[in-house]
Amino acid sequence: MNTSRSFPVFAVVFAVVWAVTYVIAVQKNYALFTYHPALEEFGLLVEKPKEGPAMYWYGWLATAGIAALAAGLIACFVPERVTQRLWSGWSWTIPLGVMLVFGYLLKGYFLR
Amino acid sequence: MIVALLIIHALLAVTLLGAITHQTISVWLPMRKTAGSFVGRMRSVPAGSYVNAIIVLYLITAILGGIIYPEYRLSIRVVLQQLRLNVPNGLFELKEHFVAVGLGMLPAYWYFWRQPLANDYARTRAVLTAILAFIVWWSFLVGHILNNIRGFEV
Repeated sequence: MNTSRSFPVFAVVFAVVWAVTYVIAVQKNYALFTYHPALEEFGLLVEKPKEGPAMYWYGWLATAGIAALAAGLIACFVPERVTQRLWSGWSWTIPLGVMLVFGYLLKGYFLR
Repeated sequence: MIVALLIIHALLAVTLLGAITHQTISVWLPMRKTAGSFVGRMRSVPAGSYVNAIIVLYLITAILGGIIYPEYRLSIRVVLQQLRLNVPNGLFELKEHFVAVGLGMLPAYWYFWRQPLANDYARTRAVLTAILAFIVWWSFLVGHILNNIRGFEV
């Protein structure tokens, strides 16, 4: 693995997998951990609210981060003749698409 | 303590906003000649010199936002829901997701701005910068609107 050649592959794959995993984690609530702000307590995986609300955002970030890191590192070992075809534009088209998906998913806030 | 962190968060956001706005303008509307006017000088800044500062500011501002976020969930969001202020509530929901998506783009943003700049990546560089600028502007304005609604609650 050549680090200088692998980094663009890592960066593009990381951006894509992060965005996709994040939106799936939010939609399906795949949080790696839960934070209960009223109690100032953390819990592993998804927990129901105890006293006050439960916060999953940090857990979604952790889920996306681990998945993106793993995918990015695996992509670094893919042969160069394959990764040469990887379009740099995926690093912005997929995140942009995910932002639009969030706009659609949250439209209820603006239409009622 | 929360008020102090909120002010620091806002100040960092202003700095980030300035840096990324300068970079975005200089990428999308570059100035070829020596600039004389205020706008012209803004267009002619060396865009690449902002990259590391933008990444550091983005990360620190997001971390600080994450630290004060529980207070928002406990004290502000409940009030917004009780007052049926759905639009500001939705704007903030979008903010948290946009910021999260932006975090994932930072390694690519850093790489495609690495010196010497590759011409092959000019469009990728410009669009990544524009998307991050949009996220930063959205986050700043939404944070400002929500703060105006609820105030510091001192």
